[in-house]
Amino acid sequence: MIRFDKVGFRYDSGPDVLNDIDFELKAGSYHFLTGPSGAGKTSLLSLMYLGHRPTRGNLFMFNQNVGTLPRERLYEIRQKIGIVFQDFRLLGHLSAFDNVALPLRILKRPEKEIRNNVTELLDWVGLGDSKDKLPPTLSGGQQQRIAIARAVITRPKLLLADEPTGNLDDAIGFRLMNLFEQLNRMGTTIVIATHNTHIMEKYGHPRMILAHGNLTLDEHRNKAEETAQGPLTANIKTGTLKHAS
Amino acid sequence: MQADSDPVTSGMIRRLLRLVLGSKGYDLPFKSDTDRNFLLLLVALMSFLAVLACAGTLTLHAMTQRWSSGLENKITIEVKAETPNGEILSPESVKLDTEKIAGMLEGNLAIKSYQVMNEVEIKKLVSPWIGEDFSFDEIPMPGLIAVELSAATPETLETLTQKVLSVAPSARIETHREWLQDILRFVKTLQGLAFLVAMIVVVTTITAISSGVRSRMAIYRNQVEILHLIGAPDPYIARQFQWHAVIVSLLGSVIGTAAGLAVATLIFHLSGKDETALIPEIGLNYGQIAAFIILPLLACLISGTTARFTVLRTLSQMP
Ligand SMILES: Nc1ncnc2c1ncn2[C@@H]1O[C@H](COP(=O)(O)OP(=O)(O)O)[C@@H](O)[C@H]1O
Ligand SMILES: [Mg+2]
Repeated sequence: MIRFDKVGFRYDSGPDVLNDIDFELKAGSYHFLTGPSGAGKTSLLSLMYLGHRPTRGNLFMFNQNVGTLPRERLYEIRQKIGIVFQDFRLLGHLSAFDNVALPLRILKRPEKEIRNNVTELLDWVGLGDSKDKLPPTLSGGQQQRIAIARAVITRPKLLLADEPTGNLDDAIGFRLMNLFEQLNRMGTTIVIATHNTHIMEKYGHPRMILAHGNLTLDEHRNKAEETAQGPLTANIKTGTLKHAS
Repeated sequence: MQADSDPVTSGMIRRLLRLVLGSKGYDLPFKSDTDRNFLLLLVALMSFLAVLACAGTLTLHAMTQRWSSGLENKITIEVKAETPNGEILSPESVKLDTEKIAGMLEGNLAIKSYQVMNEVEIKKLVSPWIGEDFSFDEIPMPGLIAVELSAATPETLETLTQKVLSVAPSARIETHREWLQDILRFVKTLQGLAFLVAMIVVVTTITAISSGVRSRMAIYRNQVEILHLIGAPDPYIARQFQWHAVIVSLLGSVIGTAAGLAVATLIFHLSGKDETALIPEIGLNYGQIAAFIILPLLACLISGTTARFTVLRTLSQMP
């Protein structure tokens, strides 16, 4: 699904941010991407959502080499990806509703379907009453929930979230994490950048650790943790979206 | 939701955009940017100039058509009433020479028609210059024949001149060619000028639209990038700028074209007052006025295409 083949990256003529990144993520997998601030988490994600091109090496997304795919076809890949940006990147002049509806409108879905789906999702993330408000008038946590709703509204094949729980108090944070779990169970591949160890430990997915531009995968440790957290995992598996509310 | 210094145009542009792109098809902010008003004014001005240039060209074309077809094949043969050395010829001898020439013209294939002018006609012709109550008995009357040729080629004129001179050495052939040619050359220059104005109008519009679009894209860079990253194909983004440019140009161009037509009609109306034989009645007919609808459409086409092309080129710099 995603394959990094000796990928290196730097911004313009700056220093290398990522060195020889080599890894492969299977469809349906769920990973945390962690590492200290400035380690390159956001940069790595932006390579995946095609916000930047690798400086060196080959990047395969959905089994297609991004480097050789003609530019006019890259949007097809982007449309399969839901992104929660670290700084949300909402359109400030559009209502919460229209922000969440945007990816569907780009896909030219019928307006009636858009209205139903968006309303339902906004209700679910607890923003039903704020759907006509403009993002700048909402709190950081509310904006983040809009950003998350916009990322998942199309049921993307791949969800990339950059510190998506940073502005959320724990109750809402866990509720959204449970949304990600559910999406993952329905087949969405997920990569979440976070340095919230509490969340990583609670959900126990394998971690990719970035440090000094190098990536290490820590599958083994997380396998152990997953078993240690048996009851919770079971809870997630049987639970519905409601259980964390 | 946006403070807007110009609610009337903004409201209209917004409504038209909604109409074209669907009720929710426009994702960019709707700030009152001075650059849009500048574009509106510029397109209006350019359309105004284009109308005047086109109206001028059309009129000149109509005028030259008439002059050429009306005068090009016409010549006048004058039998002078005095010899080059000042000797006055008798009216009888003038009349005789005139009739001889007329006889020679009769049956000549190169001649379409001719008319020997009688005294009354000649008097009518010259009276504007010398006054109505001038006694014509005091000056010797020349003989005049108005001739229409089938085709005024230089060869025909040459042979005709020889023949006329052999019959009556004091006769002179006057063509309208020389001054007509001068006028036609002048008119061609004017038409070239009008074409130049039209070209300048088009180039200016294209330049202004593309720089306007680039600055709009810079203003909305963040929004454009978001649309791009969440999967909007380039044409989706281009459409937003394209229709904005089309609608602004449509408004500007309709205003400019209407103003141009009004001014052109006024000018024609005023200059039509001293209509003479040489300056045929000028002005635009209804068909021509209707044809000016093409102008706003052309303005929309130019600005839409320019905007689209500019956006696509700018977007191609993004990964
Ligand atoms: N747009 C940018 N231009 C230049 N350098 C950048 C840019 N974004 C991030 N960097 C640099 O790249 C490095 C990695 O940053 P980032 O990917 O944001 O790390 P993280 O998300 O882990 O905090 C940092 O040194 C940062 O200064
Ligand atoms: Mg970051």
